[in-house]
Amino acid sequence: MASIQLQNIEKRYGGFVGVQGMSLDIHDEEFLVLLGPSGCGKTTTMRMIAGLEVPTGGTIIIGDEVVNDVDARDRDVAMVFQGYALYPNMSVYENIRFPLRMRGVPAADHDRLIRQAADMVELGAFLDRKPGALSGGQRQRAALARAVVRQPQVFLMDEPLSNLDAKLRQSMRVQIKHLQRQLRVTTVYVTHDQIEAMTLADRIVIMNKGAIQQVGTPDQIYTDPANTFVAGFIGSPPMNLIDGDAQGGRFTAPGVDAPCPAGLQGKVTLGIRPEDARVGGDHVQGMVYGVEPTGDVTYLTVLAGGKQIEVKAARDFRSDIDVAITIAFDPARLYFFDAQGERIRGDA
Amino acid sequence: MTTVAPGRSGGVAKATPKLRRRSPRLRKAFPYLLLTPAMLYLLAITLYPGLFAIYQSLFVVKFLSWTWTGTGNYSAILQDREFWAALGNTAIIGAISLSLQTAIALTIAYFAYRDPFIRGWRIVYLMPMLFMPSAVAFIWKLAFNDGRVISDILMTLGVVERNVDWLGNIWLARMTLIVADVWQWTPFLFIIFVAGLQSQDQEIEEAARLDGASWPAIFWNISLPMMRPIIVVAVTLRGIDITTMFTNVYVMTQGTPGGATETMSYFIYRQGFRMFNFGYASAASVLMLILTVVIAQTVVKRAFHSGKS
Amino acid sequence: MAKPIRRRGESMILRYLVLGTWALVCLLPILWFLSIGFRPRTEVITPQPIYWPTFSLDAWRLLMSDWPIALYLRNSVIAVAGSVVIDLVLAIPAAYALSRYDFKGREDIGFYILSTRMMAPAIVAVPIFFLFKTLGLLDSVWALMLIYAAINLSLVTWIIRSYMLDIPKELEDAARTDGAGDLRILWEIIIPACLPGIITAAVIAAIFAINEFLFTLLIASTSRAYTMSVALANFTGGSDGIIYNAIALVSFIAFVPILILVILIQKHLSRGLTMGAVKG
Repeated sequence: MASIQLQNIEKRYGGFVGVQGMSLDIHDEEFLVLLGPSGCGKTTTMRMIAGLEVPTGGTIIIGDEVVNDVDARDRDVAMVFQGYALYPNMSVYENIRFPLRMRGVPAADHDRLIRQAADMVELGAFLDRKPGALSGGQRQRAALARAVVRQPQVFLMDEPLSNLDAKLRQSMRVQIKHLQRQLRVTTVYVTHDQIEAMTLADRIVIMNKGAIQQVGTPDQIYTDPANTFVAGFIGSPPMNLIDGDAQGGRFTAPGVDAPCPAGLQGKVTLGIRPEDARVGGDHVQGMVYGVEPTGDVTYLTVLAGGKQIEVKAARDFRSDIDVAITIAFDPARLYFFDAQGERIRGDA
Repeated sequence: MTTVAPGRSGGVAKATPKLRRRSPRLRKAFPYLLLTPAMLYLLAITLYPGLFAIYQSLFVVKFLSWTWTGTGNYSAILQDREFWAALGNTAIIGAISLSLQTAIALTIAYFAYRDPFIRGWRIVYLMPMLFMPSAVAFIWKLAFNDGRVISDILMTLGVVERNVDWLGNIWLARMTLIVADVWQWTPFLFIIFVAGLQSQDQEIEEAARLDGASWPAIFWNISLPMMRPIIVVAVTLRGIDITTMFTNVYVMTQGTPGGATETMSYFIYRQGFRMFNFGYASAASVLMLILTVVIAQTVVKRAFHSGKS
Repeated sequence: MAKPIRRRGESMILRYLVLGTWALVCLLPILWFLSIGFRPRTEVITPQPIYWPTFSLDAWRLLMSDWPIALYLRNSVIAVAGSVVIDLVLAIPAAYALSRYDFKGREDIGFYILSTRMMAPAIVAVPIFFLFKTLGLLDSVWALMLIYAAINLSLVTWIIRSYMLDIPKELEDAARTDGAGDLRILWEIIIPACLPGIITAAVIAAIFAINEFLFTLLIASTSRAYTMSVALANFTGGSDGIIYNAIALVSFIAFVPILILVILIQKHLSRGLTMGAVKG
């Protein structure tokens, strides 16, 4: 079975800690996304699963085996790289064949498996070409085919879509998800793009500075963030985070006066997503700072007490700048975080 | 996407075999193993000859008889006027030739770079370098000494009145060597300088142009300073080769007049293979080796660490 | 053909004057020497230099009859080609180690290899002479092959290393996860990826080997093992003096293949000559 367990994994480079004390259980056949900003340790973690980096502490278990001392080439793991890493001197056919040759798959099976893999990514017509003669999207699919052909226990994908243009990215997302479902292979996917994470993942692991911030389904991450980092990372535009004081059921900050749970006391941070705020009401008194119509929605930025608050307004909302305006928050969708950024749970 | 769904059954038959664990010691030793053949070969031609030369330098060698002399050769060499002359000649001729080459190469490179017209004719500028050094030596031997072409040209231009005896005067003889060396090896520096100049970021030049700078000003204030590490590398490489000047001397002057054009390499050659004083020649070799090592450690190390990342 | 460009603040006339002059300086001696090769011996050394000689294939006939030019050519080719092969076999693994592995002593070993390029042939001339004498290899093409290989090894290693450094690490990672071992990666992936570098190194090594003079002079003591570069120096016809027209002809016979090889690797010349330090 291809579950993966990371037990207290650590990766140090001299004095610098890339990944610290990370523990994670990855379920068989799940699509897990490691999400976070650059330098957060997500790629390092994945490379440790691949065997390209050796952990300086902790244990990695793939299936039932401890694999810390198993070389990358001996693990049953396939990887798709950000730059695709296709072998430039070989045709697509030979590229896809390479892992089969390396793993000692009988030569008689090669052709069938290669064509199968190529068909899965719709690259059947391009098998004779060399990577240099392919477009970006085609190269990416070739890299996918090469990973798929071996039917490994685990797929690893390191930001495979980040070199593609936006439109291609979208269609490839769908294809990757479909492929994973078809093949039912445990997949670990690394990205800094939250939309990819939200659309692809069964579960998301958000990382920052080498540590896990939160693990959960996309829904959970979105509606139940564990701290201000997660709250501010997911969502576009990100959740508004306002520092202020809570006292007797009211949250106050310059220009802001909103309800909060009765038991809350002292310095807290209020979080509210732009789509959960609307023009009108009296929670926020401020000035219009910016109006950005995008066709299906208008992004409104309000300046209150020196802070910019984003609101998703109706598509026909228009206003001049520096006009006074008020904002209301949906009280059912307020989040509160303590002074360390940790989420204060309990009834809102 | 086709809906062929092989799942996990229609493909490669899979048991979960025992995973293979490889020896970490082999992994650590691997790069050393890769290097071993090359290193052995190099050590064979540096270490062995070096030790042999040191050993032999302690003897006076006359044909097959080796007589111990300890530091006899060394004290003799250090008092040998010819040795110091050879050293001096190498330095003087080398320095003049190197400076000339560098100046000319830089000038030509300055005029030539980023010019697509010249790029097509680049091969012409390279040609002197493509001739065998012994052939080049003969070209200039004929032009200066035996064929008197240069003298003829100078006479026609009215610079001299009679045929010039290039081998009769210390500086004239040296000049013939310098001309041959400069002619042949300026292209070496030229091509490197051009490559260096053209690899510089064009945006910087364009920004300077928009700021109103003229081309010479751009070159002098921006391109040239940025070229410094490249100039250092190229001049160092060429400089090292110049100190080994042998072929030109052998063909053109054989050290005349009076040893004024004898370079270190020729000195060693003459002592060893004309006069068969092998022990003496070995001592000279050892001294030259020490000099080379010192230069390598100081100049070269710095040049190559500033010239590349 | 591209058009000449003009640059601001600079006299185009001056510029092309200088460039043209230097081009002539490079070209004229070559053309003149070419004319030497195709004139009768009597017109080579004369009281007044002759600039418009009569065409003659004297030198050619001389080469064909008296001098075993084919032998010298063959020696050159064998020694040079053999030395290049030896160098590639030794240098490619070494360059691989230096460029793609991290290990203790890498800097020092690299510098040692680099420093052997700096060594003047004269320093090891006497010991090498004695070495080959004892081995009985004096005056053989094999000795020359071994020497040329030794001289060029560091150059070839460093050039190839420079090109290997350019190969993205991702390619190796991909090959490793695909199940390939180090040697296989070297053979199937690294070498094809740095083929231009390997060719550049081979060509430059070949040129330096063809040019080599001092060792060849010492080791090839009879004309049995002469190569092109040294054969020149001994075209003396006894009392006739130096046979310049034959020398000139031979020079051009050697010049042409070198010219072709260099045109082949033009783009990589600067990078090759500086062993990777200056990328054109």
